[in-house]
Amino acid sequence: MISLDGVTVTAGSSTLLRDVSLAIDAGTWCTVVGPNGAGKTTLVAAVAGLRRPAHGQVRIDGQDLHELHERDRARLVAFVPQHPEVPAGMSVGEYVALGRVAFHGVLRAPSRRDRDVVDGVLERLELEGFRGRDCASLSGGERQRMVLARALAQATKVVVLDEPTTGLDVRHQMDILEMLTKEVLECGLTVLATLHDLTLAGLFTDRLVLLHRGEVRLDGAAHEVIRSRELAECYGTTLRVVNVDGSDVVVPVRGDTGR
Amino acid sequence: MAWTSPPSARRVAVVTAATVVAVALAVACGLVVGPTSIPASRILGDALSHLGVGHSSLTSLQSLIVWQVRAPRMVLGLLAGAMLAVAGGTYQGVFRNPLADPYLLGVAAGAGLGATVAIVDMSNAFATPAWTPLLAFAGAMVAVTLTWLVGGRNLRSTPATLVLAGVAVSALFTSAQTFLQQQSSTQSIARVYIWLLGSLANASWHSVLIVVPYVVACTGVCVAAGRALDVMSVGDDEARSLGLSVRSVRLVVVVASSLGTAAIVSVVGLIGFVGIIVPHIVRLLVGTSYRRILPISVVFGAAFLVLADTVARTVMAPSELPLGVVTAVIGAPVFVLILSLRRTGSS
Repeated sequence: MISLDGVTVTAGSSTLLRDVSLAIDAGTWCTVVGPNGAGKTTLVAAVAGLRRPAHGQVRIDGQDLHELHERDRARLVAFVPQHPEVPAGMSVGEYVALGRVAFHGVLRAPSRRDRDVVDGVLERLELEGFRGRDCASLSGGERQRMVLARALAQATKVVVLDEPTTGLDVRHQMDILEMLTKEVLECGLTVLATLHDLTLAGLFTDRLVLLHRGEVRLDGAAHEVIRSRELAECYGTTLRVVNVDGSDVVVPVRGDTGR
Repeated sequence: MAWTSPPSARRVAVVTAATVVAVALAVACGLVVGPTSIPASRILGDALSHLGVGHSSLTSLQSLIVWQVRAPRMVLGLLAGAMLAVAGGTYQGVFRNPLADPYLLGVAAGAGLGATVAIVDMSNAFATPAWTPLLAFAGAMVAVTLTWLVGGRNLRSTPATLVLAGVAVSALFTSAQTFLQQQSSTQSIARVYIWLLGSLANASWHSVLIVVPYVVACTGVCVAAGRALDVMSVGDDEARSLGLSVRSVRLVVVVASSLGTAAIVSVVGLIGFVGIIVPHIVRLLVGTSYRRILPISVVFGAAFLVLADTVARTVMAPSELPLGVVTAVIGAPVFVLILSLRRTGSS
């Protein structure tokens, strides 16, 4: 499980995250929502071990992430950035195999087991047909699946994703989130993600954390947070929640600033 | 969108075999080609006689020319080409910058200043020629260390900071070098120029022995770093999240490339273009993985420089063309040719 204890992250004189405490149970999916600049990416980077807090600790399975060596940390938590760098000329198979570097190290070739894990992930995410393709030649949806595959190849209990649906069409957004759900339900994966789309966040997630100006404003079950007054307040606009076939749909309303 | 598909195993095997053939050809050219005509068969017979097979038909003068003049020059060329090529490829990987060359962090400017101090030498303190490589090496190491202190030491610094620090340090050292040169005699200026353009003409077994340990160790480190550089091609943050100690890798790799380059430059001067053109040609042929680029660059760089040197010492014999001029004149068209072939091949 993931626990953040009084985490404050600063950059120069500005505070990006202020005293954030969260505990996320193993095998659950928690989504962080909030307006641009709320600190979502910083929070995710801190949990991925890439951003050192000025105060407080981030722990996964009781281990302080920022005390660990990179290689040990990469076996605890995998990270999918919002804009992954896709190195042209590298094959999809090689790219996904990067997820095994923490296991075989940079001086040795992947072991039998490493190759088996990569094969398994490629199969689960329906990427076998792309194995030999240049990873820069994939479409947006295929590319995002490939990046997720690299993260899953790390075989960590925790995966952290920053806006995994950015730039995808509706079907590919659903596909990626369905695949993640499957990993949570079938493999007991713990997911911390940020999402801009509030409807999708509510549709796929057990729990929502609303972040505003670097602080946690609300933390609760998805349907409660979506229907809260704070949500519209933080975004500074009027939002309506409509129930369609049992799911909450968040609709922006024009003409009123909502204040 | 144009992209290059990952190379097939067969293609990599063909390119590897071709580079090995090129190196064999280069070794042969290095020993056989020269102003004194000595048939290849006799040189081979002499080489075999040293191994206890048959007997030599070379005169002692011919033997001296082959084994004390041409052979050390050829071996030094192999070492210099291999080191400059692999250092260039490594820098391109570690800074993720296709324009990076082995002289990026101030090695060239530092070595240039050191050598100029030794050559100009107003006070005659460095009168013996042995001082030139020593001061060149010292200058190169001082410049790279300064670059690192200015741009790489800070936890916050990025690869770009280090490269910019290299530019600043290079500018400083080059201006000092130019000043010294301008203050000196016409004769010294000519010698400084000859040194700056790079040459294998002063090669000896002694100079080979000096650089061998550096080249072997540094080339080994660079080639071993191939897999780490492949991981770094996804960017620093993602590489860290995959378990790579990006800062340590960068430090080790930069030290190895700079040290090896400094050792080579101090003995052969500033031979340009090898470090930038060889890894790029290899990349066009075998794709973007540094696990393939770096080892093949070692072999191809060695062959390339010796062949270029063969041209340098024959086209205007008995005088020599500057080696740096030849590497550029051969390298640039070859590069353009492969680039255009690659384009038409993939479209």
